[in-house]
Parts: sequence; structure tokens; C-alpha cells
Amino acid sequence: MPDTPAIEVRDLKVHFQNRRGKGLLRAVDGVNLSISRGSFHGIVGESGCGKTTLARCMVGLQKATEGKVLIGGRDCNDWLRTDRKAFAREVHFIFQDPLGSMSRRQSVYQTLEEPLLIHGLGNAAERRQRILELLELVALPQTVLDRLPRSLSGGQRQRACIARALALKTSILVCDEPLSALDVSVRAQIVNLFASLQRQLGLTIVMISHDLAIVREVCSEVTVMYLGSVVEEGATRPLFRDPKHPYSQALLSAVPSTDPRIEATRRRILLEGDPPSPSALPVGCRFASRCPLVMERCHAENPALQPVAHGGNTACHLANSNVSI
Amino acid sequence: MKLSTPLKSLPWLAIGLSFGFVLVGVLAPWIITHDFAAQDYNALLQGPSWSHFFGTDYLGRDIFSRIIMGARVSLVAMSVVLLAALAIGVALGSLAGYIGGWVDLVLISVIDIVLALPSLVIALALIGILGTGYWSMITALTLAWWANYARMSRAVVTAELQQPYIEAARVMGASHFWIFTRHLLPHVLSLVVVYASADAGALVLSIATLSFLGLGVAPPTPEWGQMLVDGMSYIEEYPSLVVIPGLSLTLVVVSFNLLGEAFALHKVPRAVRGADLRRRRAKRALEEAACAELERQTTS
Amino acid sequence: MSVNESIYTVEDLVIDLYAPTVSVRAVDGASFHVNAGETVAIVGESGSGKTVMTLGPLGLLPEGVAVDMRGSVHIEGDRNLLSMDSTALSELRGRHFGVIFQDPMSALNPMLKIGPQLATQARRFAGLSRDAAERDAVSLLARLGIPDPELRYHCYPHEMSGGMLQRSMIALALSARPKILIADEPTTALDATVQAQILDLIRHIQRDSGIAVILITHDIGSVSSVAHRVVVLYAGQVAEEGSVMDVLTQPMHPYTCGLLASVPDFRSESTGAATEIPGMPPTQITIEPGCRFAERCNQAEPSCSVHRPQLRAVPGADPSHRVACPVVLRRMGVAHA
Repeated sequence: MPDTPAIEVRDLKVHFQNRRGKGLLRAVDGVNLSISRGSFHGIVGESGCGKTTLARCMVGLQKATEGKVLIGGRDCNDWLRTDRKAFAREVHFIFQDPLGSMSRRQSVYQTLEEPLLIHGLGNAAERRQRILELLELVALPQTVLDRLPRSLSGGQRQRACIARALALKTSILVCDEPLSALDVSVRAQIVNLFASLQRQLGLTIVMISHDLAIVREVCSEVTVMYLGSVVEEGATRPLFRDPKHPYSQALLSAVPSTDPRIEATRRRILLEGDPPSPSALPVGCRFASRCPLVMERCHAENPALQPVAHGGNTACHLANSNVSI
Repeated sequence: MKLSTPLKSLPWLAIGLSFGFVLVGVLAPWIITHDFAAQDYNALLQGPSWSHFFGTDYLGRDIFSRIIMGARVSLVAMSVVLLAALAIGVALGSLAGYIGGWVDLVLISVIDIVLALPSLVIALALIGILGTGYWSMITALTLAWWANYARMSRAVVTAELQQPYIEAARVMGASHFWIFTRHLLPHVLSLVVVYASADAGALVLSIATLSFLGLGVAPPTPEWGQMLVDGMSYIEEYPSLVVIPGLSLTLVVVSFNLLGEAFALHKVPRAVRGADLRRRRAKRALEEAACAELERQTTS
Repeated sequence: MSVNESIYTVEDLVIDLYAPTVSVRAVDGASFHVNAGETVAIVGESGSGKTVMTLGPLGLLPEGVAVDMRGSVHIEGDRNLLSMDSTALSELRGRHFGVIFQDPMSALNPMLKIGPQLATQARRFAGLSRDAAERDAVSLLARLGIPDPELRYHCYPHEMSGGMLQRSMIALALSARPKILIADEPTTALDATVQAQILDLIRHIQRDSGIAVILITHDIGSVSSVAHRVVVLYAGQVAEEGSVMDVLTQPMHPYTCGLLASVPDFRSESTGAATEIPGMPPTQITIEPGCRFAERCNQAEPSCSVHRPQLRAVPGADPSHRVACPVVLRRMGVAHA
């Protein structure tokens, strides 16, 4: 049982038919992922890489075209079909927009009560007890209970969403850019909250983010995606210290340091041009059109993931050579 | 329930008049002084007196009692039509918005067709099929009136479905029924009910129009439109037969319109509503600032 | 750099905003200046007033909000911008300022081709002839890294990709040869690699043309990447200002320290959670005496809420590094802080 990964993604493909029939939008194109219980897993990549679609597949908000998602060893689709409520007790989702993910006509109390009501847990007094416990977990004062979401600050809203997600004692949280709508100084508070909740409750957290600095701080493992497929994955610190995929290298190089001394002297890798459209993916490696290390082989053959020095995997023909940008 | 507007800014006149109309309609049997159908040939076409507050009509019937009972007839008819139209419209519109796909497509086409024609014309056509009479009038009006509510409900549902909180509820394990009743319906109802309250006036007018044309209520049941058409031949010598029902109609329709307008203003973005107030306040603030600056310069 | 070289000076700026139900003092007596050829970053979170402070004097605040501004704002010693009428202000704005916003689509007219939009600006404000303006626009597009600029000149905005639109918007801002480029959160909504490209572009533009840049941002990384000086705003007041090197490596004001501590540095080897500043920034700013940060500050003293802190130079450091915190200054030996 402890060996079963919390989430397992097997050859997941999500393709959307373009409305005017102008081709297939391959949002997610053959992703394999294994997230172990109790880990804090980051998924990074830029817009259009499919990370949001992947996250939504994990919680059943998006149907896969091919492949499957296994939660705790059980097929997500089967589970949803047969016992929706049990699935809801296993996994929950934190949205990017904390204000939009709560009903604006409901007070915080009602919002937190909703999952308990849906699942018929306890009577009114027990529900109230649970709600007060949840508030303590996320460090919200009791005075927020009667307020509407619009009168809360960004940080408080996101805490309320997290409290709601934990109401059913879920063990898996999937978060889609939970910090990007928040102020800079509030992000630290929320990310610390995630980390402490993970330790306290043994949660498995999957966090989609484009803030690489935060991912580096809290995520134990990271997956780098580009145009619908995984280009690199592994333990965060070793990967960030020594990325093997040219895209990862460029991505990491793009993050500026907050220390101007480092910033003035470091080497930067700048990518030219724009990525190809997800509806017109080239044959071979998707990154070939922008890769500074591109070879003939790259245009012909899409590289598979292979183990590399930092302990993870990289999808690049030059992964284990010593060539880098 | 906390009011979102301060008490003094509520449209008291409109509320008072509309509520008055409803009250009169409900309490009619206890307010009337005479049997509205009783004909008294000794008291034909009399002017106002202590026994007949509004006078009598060409058959000796007490106009006051007929007006009051007419209010009740209009009220009942209007309420039935509104409730039925709301029920049909909200149900069909919300379902269409929620289910989407071809169900939505079919329904939106039907709604568009119904809305393309004036409601009265539709009602007339339906009465032609169903025949005249109180209940066929109500049915006809209901079928003419539901489409607007359906369209509004569908718009609200479609807009709300875009919000992440609906998806959040799905992830929590909420059933479609739960999402529909707990999240979507309240939004729909709060908008539609407000609109319907303004519609009430138009509905009363339509009922009167149909009766005026002889297609609605049958005599001796009093109805304001019916009374208008009856009194037309006497309009030169005894105008009160026409003026009194006419005024009553006007009063009721205007009061509901005012109610609707007041609610509409309430829903309109505050920026538009407060433009004038803001400008005046900004000007005042600038003047104050100028004075303060002057003071500072002279006293320092 | 002394204030004498300043081409854009803002002194004691106070901006009040009026909405139907609430009035807010968005900027509370802020002062800063921009010297020729340098990039000044204005850093603050939401509610700090950074956008209002920069765009307000130019008349670029959104419609529908009543504004009251006091203080003095000068460009190159010219008249006070706050006393100008809208026509004169518009003229001055077009001549001396270029602005880039977060969303490139909102800056470019979708009905016109890119090239003519640039050329119009050049003709109007730089006085170039029609042909010269066209050549100028093409060369501007080329300088900003847009491939095939002669072809792109005749493209409509919807025919270009996101990255190219960003660059076109920057080109538009530069087409009138402004003295100051204002970038309002130019990298916030962008991916990391595109952010890096844009920041790099801004750096190059500045070095090539000697234009001054005002960068409004909440991203410390961008600041350390492109800016020379930084002004830290909190709730409408300037907390600290100085060169980027001074302020980011030796922050003085408790807010600056807290802000920097809460943003993990991507390249330092430190581990452990980022420190948080307890509480939240004020949302509705009422007119109060004293330091706005006092209620969240772990070094606050009772006098902090009473007396308005003044910007004073930090002793033992560059005189341009100034901080508005009497507690810190006193500790460093500055009397009457």
C-alpha cells in the first residue's frame, strides 16, 4: 500500500479538435508521471505546455483522449463513474482564482460547510466543530465566518479555499497556480501554509506553477513540461542545479536573481523566436526549432526519457553527453 | 435578511402603490359595499354618493364594488400567469443553459421565435385556437410570456457556469442537482423575480386589453378592460364609467413600472448611477483643497 | 547622480481618488526623480500606489474615477504637469513619454497595420517626413528583434504572435523618440522565457538610445535585472530609495527587509521557508498621521504612528540611499530622524 503512488499518469493524451477542423490541438501528448504519497511535486512549464490540462485530468475535470490517470491505484474514470463522492474525498483541486472559486453569495461558513453537507457528514454541531478546526489549520480568525468572499483579502480567500479542500480529510491536493493571483509578500505566507499542512497532515501536493523560485523552495520533485510532453523530471534541487535538457536550461536561466551582484555577472541563455503552435507540432523533438544544440537527429526522432546524472530523466538526445548550452 | 440598500432610498411610493393593489385584490370580498353583479334599475347612471362611492353604471351596478372586484380579478389572473410563466421559463431556460449542446440549440430557437412576435399577437392567436374565456386567456398569456424569462435564466446560468466555483463544487462531489439548486437557481431567481415584478404592470394591461377586445373575461365578472369597453357608449354623458377604470389601470401599471425601474437602477453598476454625485463631490473636494492650501500659505 | 541631472522630478505628490462609496489617498506625499539615461524601478505591492503615482500625473488613470492631485511634477524643468490642461498634457505626454502596458493588444489599434501606427507617432512628435518616418519605423522594428521588419511593417496586429506583439508595443512607445519610457508591469503576465527576452530588450534599448526608463513592478527579480535605482513604495509613501545594489543588498527599511526576505532567491543556496510579513497591506487608505507600515512592523515604536517619517540619507553609505524610518536611522546615529 505505501508503495502505490498517490497519482500515476500513464501515457496520457488529451487532444482537442480545433473548431474549424483545422487540426488537432495536442494539449497533452503522451505524459507519464508518478507521484508518491506525501511528496510535494511541482509541475512547471510555460503557457501552452499542457500543465493545467494535465492537472485537470488528475481530478476528473477533463476527460482524457487516451491513456489513464490512477489515483491510489484506481482508475480515475472508473471511480468517477461508479462512486463520485468517494473520489471527491480522495482528491481536491485548488484553483488559480481564489475569488472565482467560491460562490460570491455564500459566506465563508457556508462555503466551508458545503463539502460537509454534500457528503452528509455529521449534524449541524459537528459540522460547526469541523469548520472551526479547519479555520485553525489555515490560520484564519473566526471573524471571517460571516463574511462574503469579496470582503476578504487575496491571501484570506486562498486560505479559505484550502480549508474547504481539506474539509473532507482529502489526502491529495492538486493546485493550479495557487499563488499567481496573490501579492508578492502574501505568496510566502501561503506557500509556507502549504508546506506546513503537508508536514502536519501527510498530504500529497501537486503544484502547477510558473514561479520557479517558489518551486525550488518547497517542491521535493519537479516535472518540466514543454508543448504537451515531459522534457525533464527529477528531484528539485539536483535538477535545478544541473538541468540536462536545453529547454530546462533556458527556462532556469530566464529566472532573474533578486541579488543584483549575481544578476550582473551571470550568464543568460535567451531563446529565439516563438514556440510552434500546439495544433501543428513538428515531427521529432518539439523543441528542435528553438534549440541551440539542435542536430539532424532531433528533427527526425522524438527523444524518449532517459536517466541522467541528477537522478531523474530527460528527453533529449544529448542528455548524457557533456554538451550543454 | 439584510437589506443591501438603505431604507430611505427604497422606492416607497412604487412599493406602496403596488402593495396597495395587491392588498385591495386580496381583501376585495370584504371591502365591497354591494354585490358587483347586482343590477338596480332604480339607480341607473348615478354620480358618486354615500351609498355608491363611484356612482353606478348603465345597469345600476355599483362602480366602486366593480372596481374593487376588478382589482381582484386582475390580480388573480396576473399572479397565475406570472407564476406559470416563471415556472416554465426558469425551468426550461436554466436546463437549456446547463445541459447545453443540442438541447440548448433547440430551446434557444424556440425562444427566439416566440420572442420575435409581440406577446399580445401570440396571445390572440392562441385564444383563437383555445377559444375565449377566463382560463384560455390565462393559458394564452402564459404561453406568450414565458420566453423572456427563459432567455434570462439561460443567460444567467451560462454566465455562472463559466465561474470556477461551479467546477470546484463538481470536484467536491456535488451532483448536478445540488449545483443547480444551491448555486444556479438562486442567481436566476433573484434576477428573474425582480424583472417579473416590473412585468406585472404590463401583464395587467394585457389582461385588460384582451378583455377590452372581448376575448378575456366574460360579463358579469368585472374587469377593468371589460368596464372600459362597456362604458364607451356613455363616454360623453357619463365619463366616469370610463375614467374610473382607466385611472385605476394607469395607476397600477405605473406603480409596477416604477417598482421595476427602481430595481433596475439598483442592479445597474453603481459607477453609472453615481456619476453625478461623484462629479459634485470631486468639485467640492478640489475647492476644499484649494482653501486649505490658501490657508496654509497665509498662516505659515 | 545628483538631482540636478534629473529630467523628471516628482515632489510631494499627493493623489486622492474618489469613487461613489469610498475615497482613497493613493499617494501620500511621495517624491522621486529620474536622471537621464537610467532605469528607475518603482516597487510595491497592490495598493502601494505605484501605478497611480507614475501614471496619474500624466493623466493616464482609468476613466470614471475622480482624481485630485497636489504637488509638483516637472519634466526637464518645464511647467508643473499637474497644472496643465488636458490638451497640453496630451501633447507633452506624446512628445516626452512612451508607455508600455501589460497587455499589448490594448496598445495597438487592431484596425490599422503596425507600421503606419509607428510612423504616425514619428511624424507627429519627431517631425519626420512621411518617408523618413517609414524608414524609421522599419529600423525600429528591426532593432527590437522583429524578423523581416519590412514585411512586418504591413502586418495587422492579429497576424503577429504574442512575443512580436509585445515588441511592437514597445516599438510604438519608442516611435516618437520619447525621453522617458514607462513600463507598467511589463513582465507580470508573461512566461519566464518571454520575460527574460523583454527585460533584455529594455536593457538594450536603454544602452543604445540613452532613454530613461521607469519600471513599475512588484517583481524583485526584474528590478535587479534591469534597474539602476529603485524606489520602494508602501501604501502611498516612499519607504526607501537608492541604487539597486544598495537597497537590494543592504535594505534598511523594515518593509524592504521583509519584502526581500519573503521572496526566495533562486540562486542562493539557502534552504528553508521564506519569511513572511504578518498582516496585510492596507486596502483603504485613510488619511492618517505617521508611518503606514507601523502596524505590521516588528520594530515600531509608539512615535511611529504619530510622526510622518521623512526620507533621510543612510550614514556611511551612498547619499542617494535614503530611508524613511526614524527607528533605523536613529540606531545608525542619525539625530532628529
